[in-house]
Amino acid sequence: MRLVRRETPLKGGQVRAFAAGVVIALVLGAILLVSTGHNPAEVYAKMLDASLGSPRGWSATLTRAVPLGLAGLAVAVAGSMGLWNIGAEGQLIAGAIGAAWVARFGGDWNGFVLITAMLLGAVVGGALIALGPALARARLGVNEIITTLMLNEVAIRVVRYLVNGPWKDPEGNNFPVAPELPPQSALPGFFERANIGVLIAAAVIGAVGFYSARSAWGYELKIAGSSAKAAEYVGISLKAKILTVLVLSGAIAGLAGGIELTGSSTRLVEGVGGGFGFAGIIVAALALMRPSGVAAVAVAFGAVQIGGGAIQTLGVPASIAGILQALILFGALGAAVLTNYRVVVK
Amino acid sequence: MSRAELVGLLISVISFGTLLYLAALGELIAEKSGVLNLGVEGTMAMGGVTGFLIGVQSGSAWFALLIAALVGAVFASIHGIVSVVMGADQVVSGLALTILGLGLSAFLGKDYVSSAPGAKFNAINLGPLSDLGVVGETLFSMNGVSWLAIALGIATWFMLSRTRMGLSLRAVGESAATADAAGTPVVLTRMIAVAIGGAMAGMSGGYLTLVLAPGWNEGTTAGRGWIAVALVIFGAWKPGRVLFGALLFGGLIALEPRLQTLGLDVSPILMSMVPYLLTIAVLIVLSIRSRNRPSVAPAAIGLAFRREER
Amino acid sequence: MLGENGAGKTTLMNVLAGVYLPDEGTVSLDGVEHQFNKPADAIAAGVGMVHQEFRLIPTFSVAENVVLGSAPTLVAKRAIEDEVAALAERFGLATEPGRQIWQLSMGERQRVEILKALWRDAKVLILDEPTAVLTPNEAAELGRITSAMADDGRSIIFISHKLDEVKEFCDEATVLRGGKTVAGSLSVADLDAGAMAELMVGQATDVSQRRSRTSEIGNQVCSVTDMMVHDLHQRAVVNGVSLTVAEGEIVGIAGVAGNGQRPLADAIAGLVKLTSGTVTLAGTDLSTSQPSARNAAGLAYVPEDRIGVGLAPKMNVTENAMMRAYRKLSSGSLIDRDKARANGERLVSEFNVKVGQMDSPIAALSGGNLQRLLVGRELDNEPKVLIAAQPTRGLDVQGVAAIQRILLAQAADGLGILLISEDLEELFALSDRLLVMHEGKVVAEVDPDTATRSEVGRAMAGA
Repeated sequence: MRLVRRETPLKGGQVRAFAAGVVIALVLGAILLVSTGHNPAEVYAKMLDASLGSPRGWSATLTRAVPLGLAGLAVAVAGSMGLWNIGAEGQLIAGAIGAAWVARFGGDWNGFVLITAMLLGAVVGGALIALGPALARARLGVNEIITTLMLNEVAIRVVRYLVNGPWKDPEGNNFPVAPELPPQSALPGFFERANIGVLIAAAVIGAVGFYSARSAWGYELKIAGSSAKAAEYVGISLKAKILTVLVLSGAIAGLAGGIELTGSSTRLVEGVGGGFGFAGIIVAALALMRPSGVAAVAVAFGAVQIGGGAIQTLGVPASIAGILQALILFGALGAAVLTNYRVVVK
Repeated sequence: MSRAELVGLLISVISFGTLLYLAALGELIAEKSGVLNLGVEGTMAMGGVTGFLIGVQSGSAWFALLIAALVGAVFASIHGIVSVVMGADQVVSGLALTILGLGLSAFLGKDYVSSAPGAKFNAINLGPLSDLGVVGETLFSMNGVSWLAIALGIATWFMLSRTRMGLSLRAVGESAATADAAGTPVVLTRMIAVAIGGAMAGMSGGYLTLVLAPGWNEGTTAGRGWIAVALVIFGAWKPGRVLFGALLFGGLIALEPRLQTLGLDVSPILMSMVPYLLTIAVLIVLSIRSRNRPSVAPAAIGLAFRREER
Repeated sequence: MLGENGAGKTTLMNVLAGVYLPDEGTVSLDGVEHQFNKPADAIAAGVGMVHQEFRLIPTFSVAENVVLGSAPTLVAKRAIEDEVAALAERFGLATEPGRQIWQLSMGERQRVEILKALWRDAKVLILDEPTAVLTPNEAAELGRITSAMADDGRSIIFISHKLDEVKEFCDEATVLRGGKTVAGSLSVADLDAGAMAELMVGQATDVSQRRSRTSEIGNQVCSVTDMMVHDLHQRAVVNGVSLTVAEGEIVGIAGVAGNGQRPLADAIAGLVKLTSGTVTLAGTDLSTSQPSARNAAGLAYVPEDRIGVGLAPKMNVTENAMMRAYRKLSSGSLIDRDKARANGERLVSEFNVKVGQMDSPIAALSGGNLQRLLVGRELDNEPKVLIAAQPTRGLDVQGVAAIQRILLAQAADGLGILLISEDLEELFALSDRLLVMHEGKVVAEVDPDTATRSEVGRAMAGA
């Protein structure tokens, strides 16, 4: 038995692969649930109901899809040029730090001004932490996978340091938290539990997706991602492209951190990253690095996460959400192989 | 610092060093064969939870460690099947393995979170050698796993540089097509390397929950798996240098809770960033150095291999 | 094994070496029929092949590369180095077993490949165009090595398209043409070069006949003066080259691969920097311009690597067709999709490119179609000068003819063409002037109407 490459990939293969991944994940998850004494039908029904069964569920799912989608977009933008931004988690944290830093000065600012400034701070924070790996890659050819990965751990410790030290809330009962954000920094509501962060994220994903698919800039990225030598042949400056793309990628992930802080929390805490950056990589991979796919996969993952949180009332650990996400990816990766290859038995 | 404190510090350095070295050595073997495995953190968590569970159930620490290693090997083989056999992207597959491992270990271990440890290792008695001052006292307190880690390090070095298998493994990691043309089974070699790497990561996780911090908690690996990935680069893919790095990084971890007693006014949190920043610095130096000569990194790392496509 | 480029020599030998499976027919060694499913099978049966692209691991030592795949269970560094040194000495191969491959010259690397085959005790050794990468001295050295191996009772298959080499190295010759054996096991001693050449080329086809000029050569349009280019190791790979191309003129560049043709083309197109010298196009100095500016000024470039440089492998036909024109097809910063598609469809129909769908990746296209797409795209902007590097290499007969027809038609229309080729027939057939490069320099300029092949061949060898 061997794999033979198809001349043209199966039409709609990626959607099918994703669906196959979901089915595989649900089946394996069911085995796990049964073996630990749970009724999978009941658990899955509850997950579905909590995440997509009501406007309230949808609002929670979409809110959760915001950091997932933006982190996924950040990874996808870099990925369309063949670069791996594994640092979305750290950039997201840096974004939250940037936003929190701005908020320290804006206690008496008007809400709109403060939120705008905080989101800008988030974008700058994410871009800044991505700048190092970007420069190292563009100028010295240093592998960005490792540098961005390492900076995740650095960012996690920077925020830990801040909330345990200089930014520690004196009135926080000695908990490692920063002071509460000014009340006017909370993002205005959208519907039910969702805030306008959903709209901001949708607009950013849409705009970046449209621009990279249709613009000359996006086309140049695609050439560079397909072959660096072809890009040089056409006269595209690879160094400039690497730099702008990785910094843009960091800025987008930073924005996710800013929206997370202004929309879903009241203060900067250690766990602000929430693993969204890592999940975003899976989201981008499942979306084949296409921004259009990122939104859909992010909503699906948001539903899995919200559903996973809801089934704790049934005595099922919330960690089932992470398990299902990873299994979806493995299932889809396996299935995706079959969209590009045929199995030949001989 | 008192003599007892010094011995305590050294023991702590060796303990953390052991933890990091086991996982890093496993990652080194996988990377030498051309497979980047970012699933170390998740594999460690899986080894940690099973090691602890088996320790509670069986009462035998060595048996628990063996099972942790086996679980690590099987778990990492998922990454092998997806990225080596099926040729999916190694970065994505490895990260998904970490997410899966963290989730699955939390799921499986939820009823054991407050359990008391069921098994422990005893220090190996070195007889008269343990009378040799601070060093002797430290070595006297080392348990078998640390000795095993050192033995595995030597075995890995020997295997990579002195055996036919090591030659094939390195060849597969440098150029799969060349190794294939020479008759080396690329996929099999990589699968074995990934499984061995996973076994070591699993063992490292078991060591964590059985010895270093007996007990099980979600998130007990606390990013140690990423340090293991960093160590391989820091050690420039050489078992000896990785051992040095493991002791250095382990030493930094061991120092964290002791900074205050040592009278050093450094935030332990800030100091805990040093391994990652050092690794970035080493990576930059390696990149600059490889301008006029081939990189020390295995050339085929991250690249899937299919014979039809060469 | 004698034959022109594309005669099927390498393919046939790859079957013998277990790289390809034959659809029909058998392979026999010493009268025993074998089926080789993979290279290891052929190696086990005693067939070794040195491919044109070496299969060596740069960071491994010579000895490690030699024993890879058939090493003893325990590999003692010193012991294998001694063994490899002893083997090398037996056949008079100069080598240093402890050095790493990346430190070696191409000739030294080739010797490592030969050692690999000898280590596996190959009874039949296939050398695929072994002299293509060698200096004349190294080629002579290779001759001594092959003699030593033959004296040791081993058979050597020497693939070449050079007559003088076959006379020098071989006892017998088999000539391939168009995938068929046209003459088998001829005794080289009894043959003269003319007879072999006739067998190799066969009845001259249309395209390989000397073209008849239909238009006048016009004014000089492109000039390169005193060009120096250095590689990463600070070696002068283009060493003071000056040349000119006029409107409607085809200037051929002959040379053994690796004598500076590629960096010359890349430097004119702006892909690598000049150390010194100038590139001028229609009176404008482009020496420091970006590749896109040179293209806009009228310089088109069909690079040696079609896929990966001239065309982007993962992108579709439409996208590849607009690599030069995408800015013109944009309004504002957005690319107009209708214009882009129309642009692609126009090129595809004008240059007879057979594509399945415009939005399928170009990887699915055949070599001839890829090259017509690439050449068509490069000619689309009404360039003044075209650099065509190995434009017909690896194409089938019709593919070669199509490209050569396009080049001739364009020259007749006034395009200046710099034609870089390793195919002497092609160069003689198409060029108005023929330059020969050797070690980064232009060492000869001849008139293809009057020059002889052996004259050019000698210049290529640096004689």
